[in-house]
Amino acid sequence: MAEAALRTAPLDKARALQWLQKYGVYAGVALLLVVNIAITPHFLSAENFRTQAVQVAPVIIVALGMALVIGTEGVDLSVGAVMALAASVTALYLGYGLVPALLVVAVFAAAVGLANGALVALVGVQPIVATLALMVGGRGVALVLLPQLQDLRNPQLASLGSGDVLGIPYLILIAAGLALLVAFVVRRTTFGRQLLAIGDSRPAAQLAGLPVRRVLILVYVICALLAAVAGVLATARLQASDPTSLGNLMELSAITAVVVGGTPLTGGRVNIAGTVAGAVLIQLLTATLIKHDLPPSWTQIAQAVVIVAAVYAARGRGKR
Amino acid sequence: MQRTTHRSRLLARPVVVALAAAVALTATSCAKSEDDASDGKKSPAAAADSEQKVVTPKPGSKTCTIDAYGGEKIDLKGATVGFSQSEKEANPFRIAETQSIKDEAEKRGVELLTANAQSQFSKQISDVQDLLAKGADLLVIAPLNSDGWDPVLQAAAAKKVPIVTIDRKINATACKDYVSFIASDFVEQGRRAADQMIEATDGKGEVAILLGSAGNNVTTERTKGFKERVAEKAPGLKVVFEQTGDFTREKGQQVTEQLIQSKPGIKGIYAENDEMGLGAVAALKGAGKKAGDIRIVTVDGTRNAVQGVVDGWISGVIESNPRFGPLAFQTLDTFTQGKEVPQDVVIQDSAYDADNAEQDLGKAY
Amino acid sequence: MAPPAEVLAVRGLSKSFPGVRALDDVDLTLHPGEVHALIGENGAGKSTLIKLLTGVYRPDAGDIVFQGDKVSFATPLEAQKAGISTIYQEVNLIPLLSVARNLFLGREPRNRFGLLDSARMNREAEQALGAYGVRVDVRRPLRALGVGAQQMVALARAVASEARIVIMDEPTSSLEPREVETLFSVIRRLRDEGIAVVYVSHRLDELYAVCDTVTVLRDGRRVHHGRLADLDRLSLVSTMLGRELGEVRREGLTKFTGGHHATDSRPVLEARGLTVPHTLHEVSVSIRPGEVVGLGGLLGSGRTETAKAVSGALPTSSGSITVAGIPLRGGSTPAAIRAGISLLPEDRKSEGIVPGLSVRENISLAVLPRLSRFGLVSEARVDSIVDTFVERLRIKASSPRQKVGELSGGNQQKVLLARWLAMNPKVLLLDEPTRGIDVGAKAEVQKLVDELAADGLGVLLISSDLEELIEGSDRVVVLKDGAVVGELTGDEVTEDKLMRTIAGHSPDGDAVEEAATDG
Repeated sequence: MAEAALRTAPLDKARALQWLQKYGVYAGVALLLVVNIAITPHFLSAENFRTQAVQVAPVIIVALGMALVIGTEGVDLSVGAVMALAASVTALYLGYGLVPALLVVAVFAAAVGLANGALVALVGVQPIVATLALMVGGRGVALVLLPQLQDLRNPQLASLGSGDVLGIPYLILIAAGLALLVAFVVRRTTFGRQLLAIGDSRPAAQLAGLPVRRVLILVYVICALLAAVAGVLATARLQASDPTSLGNLMELSAITAVVVGGTPLTGGRVNIAGTVAGAVLIQLLTATLIKHDLPPSWTQIAQAVVIVAAVYAARGRGKR
Repeated sequence: MQRTTHRSRLLARPVVVALAAAVALTATSCAKSEDDASDGKKSPAAAADSEQKVVTPKPGSKTCTIDAYGGEKIDLKGATVGFSQSEKEANPFRIAETQSIKDEAEKRGVELLTANAQSQFSKQISDVQDLLAKGADLLVIAPLNSDGWDPVLQAAAAKKVPIVTIDRKINATACKDYVSFIASDFVEQGRRAADQMIEATDGKGEVAILLGSAGNNVTTERTKGFKERVAEKAPGLKVVFEQTGDFTREKGQQVTEQLIQSKPGIKGIYAENDEMGLGAVAALKGAGKKAGDIRIVTVDGTRNAVQGVVDGWISGVIESNPRFGPLAFQTLDTFTQGKEVPQDVVIQDSAYDADNAEQDLGKAY
Repeated sequence: MAPPAEVLAVRGLSKSFPGVRALDDVDLTLHPGEVHALIGENGAGKSTLIKLLTGVYRPDAGDIVFQGDKVSFATPLEAQKAGISTIYQEVNLIPLLSVARNLFLGREPRNRFGLLDSARMNREAEQALGAYGVRVDVRRPLRALGVGAQQMVALARAVASEARIVIMDEPTSSLEPREVETLFSVIRRLRDEGIAVVYVSHRLDELYAVCDTVTVLRDGRRVHHGRLADLDRLSLVSTMLGRELGEVRREGLTKFTGGHHATDSRPVLEARGLTVPHTLHEVSVSIRPGEVVGLGGLLGSGRTETAKAVSGALPTSSGSITVAGIPLRGGSTPAAIRAGISLLPEDRKSEGIVPGLSVRENISLAVLPRLSRFGLVSEARVDSIVDTFVERLRIKASSPRQKVGELSGGNQQKVLLARWLAMNPKVLLLDEPTRGIDVGAKAEVQKLVDELAADGLGVLLISSDLEELIEGSDRVVVLKDGAVVGELTGDEVTEDKLMRTIAGHSPDGDAVEEAATDG
């Protein structure tokens, strides 16, 4: 009955809104590119695109995990803290070599993801509350492990942060590879479909015999692991481990990218291409304002406008 | 009979195992930092070398005596001094500040009680009350906030305990609620940074400012001093870009990357702290620039930044000296002997440039 | 002016929602000291009537005359202040506040400084609750009390706020038998004090124990009102269900062909002594392959709960389930599904379909792991299964990619059936499989159930549609208040026998004289 009512609504407006929902984020990216090419000096250069891509890569990686969590009608506030934790642990164990250090990072991140997932799936805590605990606590642990910024002079780590293949930085390759992988998982695996079903209707998924708890826990573990990857890459790029400030407000950037990219907060749908585009949109917006030396507060206001626009476009498709 | 008591059976065990593994890895402290060997503890000798120097009080500046403040003369030696630190010792400035207080207390044979508020103002208030309760005769406070000190000041006044505040002022009456305030002059730091920038760029061309966190008085004052001096001395130098780097290395790097692409002609970057300056260096290196292509001036004087001067990436570093120990105890000593002390003690910060960086590297914190 | 004889007079009350006439020209009269039973099956309009009386909804037409004045409450609070209090199934008080605070919420005693007078409040709270046989420390938070005691606090609160009418919506659903007795004594006290009580319940024993008068609603209309003692249980049940007594119809109105033949004498499903606190008591059901077993009973008799307990969705405190002779660990949906039990839930929209996913994804949802290798879905195998069932069940969708939420109710139900048939189940539990779907789809679903049984599946059928239940089932197990009260087999499977069993008559038809009231 509700669908019928929707169909009889003014067609033009409904169609425009639908178009905005589907393609708004890409149109936004295209618009910013066109405007910048027109008005920003030296914008149209390989160097510049490389810079924007490298800067946005960690945000994309975190947003991929966030998109999966949001697809289950959850949210993970602890991603920034996991980045800081990854930075600390990298610094502490780098003496054994890069690979062993990364393995320890993975163990820590998986532990955070398991704790988040267990609180949400087994104990039944609201995701926003469950992950808030580790948002605060995770950074605390990171600072206990490494109380202050430390420079890292490991050639392998440095090359991870600034090296490239055929002129394409590793950071971009890794982010792109992970985006394709996550998109594949969502579309083609049992896990991906179960995740969406759980996010759309948890009672139905439960009665259909899906392994709801296992899927939820796995989603939070994946999200934490992706955040850790982003933390390591950001650390590699900085060639310093900075647990005090690394990943600050990253949870908000990631959520923004996901929402702007057309993934509803109500779960049941995950738009990976849109998420990537959402992160790029915010990056370009920030870059535009910085390059034109507009006051930093404008960036925040512009981001707010984009979020409001995205939420407006998402109106009516979320709640059923 | 079938029972249904299988809740949380699914993944409970892996959770425990993984958490235990994570804890074990840290607890057994098999951590091995890359820098363990190379970057040992900083030598305490370095600290002793670079004591703070007072800017000679201007004639007519206000002073304070024990008679005006109330209280009794005591001998600082053998007295108990309470020190309340505001933030966790998680950055070089706070580490050096606390260390300096501890070192000076030991040197003077003073019994020192310390507390750290971990960036929580309510904790700092109760910290100071604890210090008073534990019998501190004198207090040195590095305040987290300027406001909200009334309860502590009343408690201290009741016990006639003199207070010296360092690096941040509190909103109260000097020589009544507290004795003296000791700090750097952030505006002056900005002016001196401008001097360095003018020298490095010959006073011509376009420069950028990496601002600190918005709404922070350090940011405002370091910006003010820099712009004032540039306008006054080098009209040929234009500030064409002001973006915040939030006092962090990562933001400093990201903003600089945007800057050098949109304004390739930029001659200099003034970073309002060392971390953003080091971020700028990382950005320049990443863009394939060479040391000295773009002049960088920073404020703080941490070891990493001074090393940057030695390496030629940074043209100058204005120090913001954290070593308040000698000056704070000197002030308390003079005051408790009944002599006159200034209400505002402004200290002279040193500076590093290509001429002295290498030999003074040991003084950097 | 003399006070009017009745405390409440409702005339011609009507209320419509989009597409539904929820209440149609209903009258209701209450006198002081009257305990009035309000009964009806699902969708009869009871809740709508209550919500109109308490200001939650506004009527489309009709008058509510309360104590002689025509009233129109804007909010439940207004109704409560005027003197109409409601006690819901779920206690709607504040769990963290003390018992006394809850009792006096909004009308706390003040001392002469205008501050809360705790001592007086606690003293009065103790007295008030003591009167209802509740002896607790009133300073403790409400949540520390048992559900029954909380219910009493809600009741005491309702009465203490000088109510003239107290509406009780299934007040005993979470009470222990002893607490029910206390509640009844309270109701009798209210009656003696001249307070009118509207009592909503599906438990016939309770109705006959405390109620004087009755209003029966069906499909939004008042179909009967009068003294309860004048209406025996059988008539009450038949009025509620809208069936004439003695009407015997075995076949014809539905698409069931009837006459399934159990192919095997060994049951494919055997549930023994299933017990869920407050809900099910020692319920046993067995189904043989090829057999359709109906679950009969009124709303709230435990039919849905039995199906959920069997399917693992509702944890049981005791009892056993075996599928084809193999014991099943209870309380786990995946385990039940693996064993071959499939449940088509009553609430199709919120517990059945995944509305945002496509027809294809909904059909393949449960069977997906079997169509995957190393976690990767084989799209070809999914397509083949989906195509098979879309064709076999004649699912009408623009394409398999269409969202299930956009389909009609009947097609949604078929998608759910397809989801389970793809699993090759041994037992199908169908909870109201044809509710809310159009006539054509209903016939198709009924025919399908027949076919599935003919193929050897064991089917458990729950339906509020008596025709469907009688004609579709080979056997009917009758539930009442969460326990099995009878079983109809062979020629006994008639509406008449079913209603007699529900009403408490023995299945063989011997009328048992009812002890209608006990006080």
